[in-house]
Amino acid sequence: MKPRYLRTLLAVAGMAVGAFAQAHPDLSGVWSFTIDLPPTKLKVENDGKADFKVIDRGLAAPRDAVVKGALPFTKEPAYKPEFQAKIKYLFDHESKEDPVFYCGKPGVPRIGPPRKIVQLPKETIFFYEDISGDPYRIIPTDGRAHRKNGNPTSYGDSLGRWENGVFVVDVTNFLEDGWFGEGGYFHSDALHVTERFWRDGANLVWQATVEDPKVLSAPWTMAPKVVKPSTDPLEESPRCIETDSKLLVNDDHHQQR
Amino acid sequence: MKQIGIICLALAVFLGGGWLWAHHSPSAEFDMSKSFSVSGTLTKVDWINPHIMMLLDVNGEEWKFESNPPAWFRRVGIARADFADAIGQKISVDGVRARDGSKFGYMLRAKFASGRALELVREEGK
Repeated sequence: MKPRYLRTLLAVAGMAVGAFAQAHPDLSGVWSFTIDLPPTKLKVENDGKADFKVIDRGLAAPRDAVVKGALPFTKEPAYKPEFQAKIKYLFDHESKEDPVFYCGKPGVPRIGPPRKIVQLPKETIFFYEDISGDPYRIIPTDGRAHRKNGNPTSYGDSLGRWENGVFVVDVTNFLEDGWFGEGGYFHSDALHVTERFWRDGANLVWQATVEDPKVLSAPWTMAPKVVKPSTDPLEESPRCIETDSKLLVNDDHHQQR
Repeated sequence: MKQIGIICLALAVFLGGGWLWAHHSPSAEFDMSKSFSVSGTLTKVDWINPHIMMLLDVNGEEWKFESNPPAWFRRVGIARADFADAIGQKISVDGVRARDGSKFGYMLRAKFASGRALELVREEGK
């Protein structure tokens, strides 16, 4: 193909994508890393001169701030009475029981908002960075139904649609062995997650609702996360090798995500 | 062993646990009540999750230190090369030691032969 034809083809494709982007808010872009990192800064000393470096946590607003467009949310999910003992056991023994602590996949919704979004006319693609690996999700937006023969996975089967400027992702078909949050938040094969994404000015807002009628007494809507755009490119996450567990002398733990 | 000493001075103010990142309470693994210092030769740097790992040769004995995750170091502008360039050179590490008494600790400060030092400092209000 001659270069000028190629340029014409690319221009037409670009116009098509541009026209689509105008029909809905554009979520495309690279977004800040929002997984909790240590609350430490780095002091760098060179020749007696000290410089401090602080991480950009990527949150444009505190988690407890009012976020425009967010659904009402609660801090914790409510489990059915018969599962109270189990949730307490898992919480108390979290450092030994949580799969994520041992390089397991966090799954949806625990992984949070993606680091990069590519919004196309018939599908939207999410890219993530995570210590367990760097998953991606391809989310059809062409009106199809959920797959009937797909294997259950940590990130489930996703379908996307637009509702009044909000990108709604419906996720089903999860593996049972994951937790949807720190604190022993186990689930069943009936887990159903609805993620909502919208723009708030330059920022991206993400909020998820978890339903599991087998173990939860009611749907749980999590606090929204407000994510700033980022210029920090994605980088392949180093492999994960857990070596601390054999050195733990008790079950003490603290909240992470 | 003169290369290993207990220090309870400047670093002590930063001890206490919650600000160090781990997938468990740091106090469940490390003695957070006092820090210690080891000097030796840096032999290996593993840039792995969930913690970076450094190996030191201290008078023929191998010491291991883990520290914050790679994603944290990346976001404060530090890459593996900032440590790995010092492989084969002298290094002094301040940290907290594993409760099981093994030659293992959590690095809080590393001083390289070049004179450069990297130190984890608790963020205000965290």
